[in-house]
Amino acid sequence: MTFGKIIRAVGPPLVFGAIFLGIWQLIVEVFDIAPFLLPAPSAIWSEFLDRSDDIIDATLVTGANALVGLLFGVVFGIAMSFVLMRYQVANELVTPLAVALNAIPIIVLVPVFNNMFSSTSEVPRRLMVTLIVFFIVMVNVAKGLRQVSATHLELLHSYAASPREILVKARIPNAVPYLFTALKIAAPAAVITAFVAEYFGGRQNGLGYSITSNAAASRNAASWAYVIGACALGLIFYLVAVGLEKAVSPSQPQGSTQQPTGGLTPGGVSA
Amino acid sequence: MSVRGSTQSVASDAVVVDRVSMIFNEGKSNEVEALCDVELVICPGDFVSLIGPSGCGKSTLLRLIASLISPTSGSVLVNGKSASQARVEQDYGMAFQQSGLFEWRTVEKNIELPLELKGWSKSRRRQRATEMLELVQLSDFGSHMPWELSGGMQQRVAIARSLAAHPPLLLMDEPFGALDEMTREHMQAELLRICAASETTVVFVTHSIPEAVYLSNRVVVMSARPGRITEIIDVDLGADRDEDTREEATFYGKITEVREALRGAETTDEPRGIEDR
Amino acid sequence: MILRGVRRVALFFLALALVAAVWEFYIVVGPEKGGEVFGMRVLPRASGRAMPHTWEMGQRLFDPEVRGQDRPIWLAVLGYSWYTFRMALAGFAIGCVFGMALAVVMTRFRVVERGLLPYVIASQTVPLIALAPQVAALGGNWDLPKWTWVAALGAFLAFFPVSIATLKGLSAAPAASLELMDSYAASWSTTLWKLRFPAAVPYIVPGMKLAATAAVIGVIVSEISTGVRGVGFAALTYAQKATSDPAQVYTAVFGAALLGLSMFGLVVAIEVFAMRNRPAEAN
Repeated sequence: MTFGKIIRAVGPPLVFGAIFLGIWQLIVEVFDIAPFLLPAPSAIWSEFLDRSDDIIDATLVTGANALVGLLFGVVFGIAMSFVLMRYQVANELVTPLAVALNAIPIIVLVPVFNNMFSSTSEVPRRLMVTLIVFFIVMVNVAKGLRQVSATHLELLHSYAASPREILVKARIPNAVPYLFTALKIAAPAAVITAFVAEYFGGRQNGLGYSITSNAAASRNAASWAYVIGACALGLIFYLVAVGLEKAVSPSQPQGSTQQPTGGLTPGGVSA
Repeated sequence: MSVRGSTQSVASDAVVVDRVSMIFNEGKSNEVEALCDVELVICPGDFVSLIGPSGCGKSTLLRLIASLISPTSGSVLVNGKSASQARVEQDYGMAFQQSGLFEWRTVEKNIELPLELKGWSKSRRRQRATEMLELVQLSDFGSHMPWELSGGMQQRVAIARSLAAHPPLLLMDEPFGALDEMTREHMQAELLRICAASETTVVFVTHSIPEAVYLSNRVVVMSARPGRITEIIDVDLGADRDEDTREEATFYGKITEVREALRGAETTDEPRGIEDR
Repeated sequence: MILRGVRRVALFFLALALVAAVWEFYIVVGPEKGGEVFGMRVLPRASGRAMPHTWEMGQRLFDPEVRGQDRPIWLAVLGYSWYTFRMALAGFAIGCVFGMALAVVMTRFRVVERGLLPYVIASQTVPLIALAPQVAALGGNWDLPKWTWVAALGAFLAFFPVSIATLKGLSAAPAASLELMDSYAASWSTTLWKLRFPAAVPYIVPGMKLAATAAVIGVIVSEISTGVRGVGFAALTYAQKATSDPAQVYTAVFGAALLGLSMFGLVVAIEVFAMRNRPAEAN
């Protein structure tokens, strides 16, 4: 990439970002807006530096919940996708359920989970993340396992390949891009879910809790500082997912044309 | 090289291409000289085919006439005006290899598209669309959707659309390229019938020698890149060509003539003069 | 075709019944105070308080919200859900309009696309919902009613998926069709309305589905920050009374489910209408 191309790619976003922050700072100063209404970027930054230890702690809590939920969700999701591939009945039972659950804001189940487990446990939040990740991964990987091109299947049949061989040689390789598509949606979704789950009660740690409590106490600049932590966490998870994809299948076209399904995304993640 | 012989270009000419050159990405590392010093005059009522090896610039020349791109040097006149003026005034209709029909509009509404852009009233548009459907013999399919039609039928709709505003000039870029041989021959006959009925001048880009000979009264043979006109062959098979024409000796003779001209165009870079045969 | 639809619905209810069966089964066999698997406390409590029976949940719908009232709770929950639905719908609609508008601007001015698109994409990876408390704080100090701020947050979340999807769709018009419009000397805006937007519809619709889900969740979560009395707020409040009234929170869950499904049904209706003349996609 030539220097000129880099400038062209990075320049406009940086300029827009700088202009945005500049205008924000200007508005707060010129109109003398009270900090409990809208803090200035400079105030937010200084709070961020002051509280960096706390922010990191909170990020680790929320991040751990997201990570545990992500891992379990991926494992169970992949396992279930094999079941869906193998048994058409299971597919027919689970798919409408998955579609319906995609539409329902199941985040409201967090208070229910808080009752089912103790409210001092992290399990309700991790369970919520696991559920959401599970459906995203399961639906997409199942699609990848089932929707092998007819030409490939015909070819393997002509070699008298057993179902197991077809699975290993055709279905699983076909499903790998679908897994990564799912992962690129599920990773940010895990962060968002772990985060939002904290709004519904439970232990008083984590980014979501800190943001709400600071905002409620009118410490807006501090609240925004935690927001920075949340954004960083989400970006990190997403970039790790992208990095994994590049590491495992470097030659695959990124941003594949497959339409992912079952995106349970509180914050909204693109298809 | 002048292809007009002794006569000068006349104001009533349909298309005048005057010493046109086209260089893409001039000055950059991927510079390509697509056309070099092309001159061509097309009279009203002509059916002119552009034929040549891949990369000879025939599609580029068509797009220059359509004013979709501008020449690096030289000028193009259409109907006595500059090509861009002609485009603004919608003096030509265009048809491509993909029928390019809008899949969300009915057949009828697809034909009405250029008329909408001209600001015609709804009733006038509807009337003209019905006329055009009858012309291409698809009257029963007006309210169908494009994807319900076969490839040949879709191209007929595309042709109907390109003629809807009754432009004096029709520009076609391999419109039958995606069709099978039988449909293709049928469509060629249809096109001749339609153009005779509407008295349109046609510039037609094709890869197929028999197609060029069957349809045109002049076949323009172009050389490989940089594109030049190497020869113009007059085809005098008469005004009422039909299926039997394809089996006449003169037809085969002309095909051979064009083929040899093409071979010459492929092997040499120098333009040859006009040969009287 | 209808038979297939009926079969799907039947299987859906069968799946629900299976879930209920698993629930009841666990109540019977599960440990009262919760349990451990490999040393981790991951088994939920199977007590009557933590996991009421499914029929108790159903029955609870017909009891009043607070003892002594006449009105059964399902009416109250329906009211909450309707309130949330209206806010989510407003947010969804506004988010769609602004999202599409931004996509048009980005298509017209490539500089804007290069400058803003990275932020729009990045917004998909971060919890925008983090701004909910800020919105609540801001909103509290202006004189607009609280629900506008809740709807605004829903709009904010719906905005991004629609923007990305519309941008993708607007550039999906086939090159031959763009050349055709060029040959008609059509202006940019004419080409936009007659070609780009209709060609973009198959891309915009999936974006709208994501936006609808995002709006619903955004609104529900904002209710908690602002105290607006919708179904999310109800779920949280009822859950706090779990010791005295364990089945109550599930009524709110049902309400939320109904809300989500209604929103989904609305978007599916939009999809059917918008794609009515298009060729059926091979699945």
